[in-house]
Amino acid sequence: MSKGILAVDNRGKRELGADKLVGWDEVTQGIVLTSFEGDAANIASLKAEERTYSDFNSYTATVASWRVIKPIYNRDICIDCQNCWVWCPDSSIISRDKQMLGIDYDHCKGCQVCVEVCPTNPKSLLMFVEAEEIETALAQWPEKKKN
Amino acid sequence: MAKKYDINEVEVWDGNYAASQALRQAQVDVVAAYPITPSTPVVENYGNYVANGYIDGEYVMVESEHAAMSGCIGAAASGGRVATATSSQGFALMAEVLYQASGMRLPIVLVVVNRALASPLNVRGDHADMYLGRDSGWIQIDAFNAEEAYDLTLCAFRIGEHMSVRLPVMVHQDGFITSHTAQNIHPLSDEAAYKFVGDYKGVDDMLDFSKPVTYGAQTEEDWHFEHKAKQHKALMDSRTVIDGVFAEYGKLTGRNYKRVESYMMEDAEVAVVGLGSTVETLRVAAKQLREEEGIKVGIVAPRCFRPFAFDEMADALSGVKAIAVLDRSSPGGAMGAFFNEVSAAVLSSANRPLVTNFIYGLGGRDFSIQEAKRIIREQKAHADAGHITTQIQQFSGLRGPKLGFFEAKRS
Amino acid sequence: MAITSIKNLKEFSTNNDRFEGAHTLCPGCAHSMIVRELMNCTDDNLVIAANTGCLEVSTAVYPFTSWDTSWIHIGFENAATAVTGSEAMYRARKKKGTLKDPNAPVKFVAFGGDGSTYDIGFQWLSGAMERGHDFTYICLDNENYANTGGQRSSSTPIGATTSTAQAGSASYGKKEKKKDIVAIMAAHGAPYVAQLAPNKWKSMAKGFQTALETEGPCFINTVSACCTEWRFDPKDTIHITDLATDTLMFPIYEIINGHELNILYRPKNVVPVEEYLNAQGRYKHLFKPENKHVIEKIQSDINEYWDKLQRREEARI
Repeated sequence: MSKGILAVDNRGKRELGADKLVGWDEVTQGIVLTSFEGDAANIASLKAEERTYSDFNSYTATVASWRVIKPIYNRDICIDCQNCWVWCPDSSIISRDKQMLGIDYDHCKGCQVCVEVCPTNPKSLLMFVEAEEIETALAQWPEKKKN
Repeated sequence: MAKKYDINEVEVWDGNYAASQALRQAQVDVVAAYPITPSTPVVENYGNYVANGYIDGEYVMVESEHAAMSGCIGAAASGGRVATATSSQGFALMAEVLYQASGMRLPIVLVVVNRALASPLNVRGDHADMYLGRDSGWIQIDAFNAEEAYDLTLCAFRIGEHMSVRLPVMVHQDGFITSHTAQNIHPLSDEAAYKFVGDYKGVDDMLDFSKPVTYGAQTEEDWHFEHKAKQHKALMDSRTVIDGVFAEYGKLTGRNYKRVESYMMEDAEVAVVGLGSTVETLRVAAKQLREEEGIKVGIVAPRCFRPFAFDEMADALSGVKAIAVLDRSSPGGAMGAFFNEVSAAVLSSANRPLVTNFIYGLGGRDFSIQEAKRIIREQKAHADAGHITTQIQQFSGLRGPKLGFFEAKRS
Repeated sequence: MAITSIKNLKEFSTNNDRFEGAHTLCPGCAHSMIVRELMNCTDDNLVIAANTGCLEVSTAVYPFTSWDTSWIHIGFENAATAVTGSEAMYRARKKKGTLKDPNAPVKFVAFGGDGSTYDIGFQWLSGAMERGHDFTYICLDNENYANTGGQRSSSTPIGATTSTAQAGSASYGKKEKKKDIVAIMAAHGAPYVAQLAPNKWKSMAKGFQTALETEGPCFINTVSACCTEWRFDPKDTIHITDLATDTLMFPIYEIINGHELNILYRPKNVVPVEEYLNAQGRYKHLFKPENKHVIEKIQSDINEYWDKLQRREEARI
């Protein structure tokens, strides 16, 4: 699992709404927000970790505090079907090169949709309380259910 | 490439035609419009230029005025020059999106052919629609005749698109009296007009895909106030840009505009302050009364309704003893809005003239030279008496018993 | 280069998200599933407009934007007009040669909820469709004004309780039928109109791509299950959507050029509508004995409409 993808430097540091409240002379003209720093003409071909997000892009913010339960991912069972990727409402399933890599905990709100749509037996994603350690969770993963 | 339009040094155009020619000469990229009386010919004439190959831009005929301005906003956020026209009920239907255009700092030009607001329904000219726009954050420039409508429409592009302004601009003219009355006009050549207006320069262009932008974000109590303050500052600061553009246009044409237009004010003892085509009537009345009765009267008129020329208005009226302020919009339970603004400006100076308010000309009721003279004579009477001799607000040109409000208590 | 076909989910998942997280839509909201899929099914540049609604108030709250593409919100009613204004400007500037990159592919898309699509923005949408602009309008249909606490819209189905069409001792909830927006849009002569659902991701992606690639005004109604106002557990969004399509409450179909109707999903086993209704709090009151007739009415409406769709598909009219 690449640390660079799951915790990019400019992500997850700020709570939404907890920004520096600048004065009237510093707000943007026309309430316009720019999504990136620099030239972003080819943004569709760049992965998140290759992009230069501006501070206005919500990618740089976190909603982790919304969560009371969290999904934990078990690589050993996953078949990379990408069901969780396509149905995640918070762009929080990190997939690269057809492989599921893990969960973006800065943006995951803990809705549990990924767990519900996971087709493996046992599931490759399960919900745990927010404070649960990943290692502990993986150690107590359930066995395959018989019909 | 658009066909060349043959234009004479002197043309006979009405206000609508003049405005549509200015839009053509500015080579507007998108006109999204919905016609309404009396501004319909602006859009129709433009349609004629489109049909005959004189326009390169897009002409989008939408299903309502609200959509017209909505389309203009989408287009203006996409890096090109945008204009449209409307009046009255159409203006009212647009009201919601007028605020969006200015809040997003989009330099759209809107030709407003002033007309009364229903009810009762009325197609004639008064200033109810212009007043409805006064808090919308747009620059509002007022043309008193057809040639001015042409001149000021060209100036509007320069002003709104100026990099330090980036605000939408309304150019007002009076319904029918200006919009449908032909007069001699001295237009610029297409080349000179376009050179004056210049190429459009985009800011936060939605079609520049190297820099994706989000327009129209939500702000609540933590951000809204700062954004509105910044917008107000830009509107206030546009005053110097307007002065500069008027000066440059003056050099080009010999027609010199000022944010407050003063006529025979040098030695004036009394003054009348008005808006729109009425200003020309007032000037004729003033000139005649000076000759016929020796009344030292001058006429003051704001060229810019917004931003309001508070300082210049106070200066223009600093030497007079009595002032009548004419409001051509039903005041709805208060003194006329224009009266209040002029009075506030005067109050900031050492001068304490006697200021009265006339509500006149609603629904296109004719405002005659005789009526203007009667108002001027009343000002002279106040000045001579040293106090207001009438009610402070009066309806002028109204049938039935005399209607007025508020007695002057200082005598 | 535009993505031409999506064979399977693995392949689809290699596309890079252009709709970013940390928006403030509810956990489990189907809106963002639909929006993500639209933005992921193409590599083209996008100019997106949104009507006021859940999507808009949750994805552009100053000083944050969740959009990696050009985006504009004006009002509740006018996203179709805003985006077609932009499209007109694109044509004008292309003609005049003032675009920064005239060869960059671009698609124009408007999003609206059912409140802004079926109700307050109906005229603006109809006008934009009639004018023939090259754009795609996507309705995120959650059958109520969810952004303001769940008031009835003309998309709310019979029998659902909403804050302004409440079920009570003297009422079974909304009395009026859901407006048939897809038929109305098809009647505009639009080249491509469809009703799609996010649980059927492949037909949805294909429908989105068809709309984006089709020249002219296209309309897509998408089923957007709303855990907050439909009252189900957020984890069940896809399950509820499965029930919506398997009961034929939301048939999945497209209409090409106003008359070629193709059904895109035929459930192997059609599920009785009770199962769909019973899974949501907004229909709970229908299971009282006195409201049994409402469930019967809903089921017979579904049967009738499904029959009509099949006959239209066969007749090609």
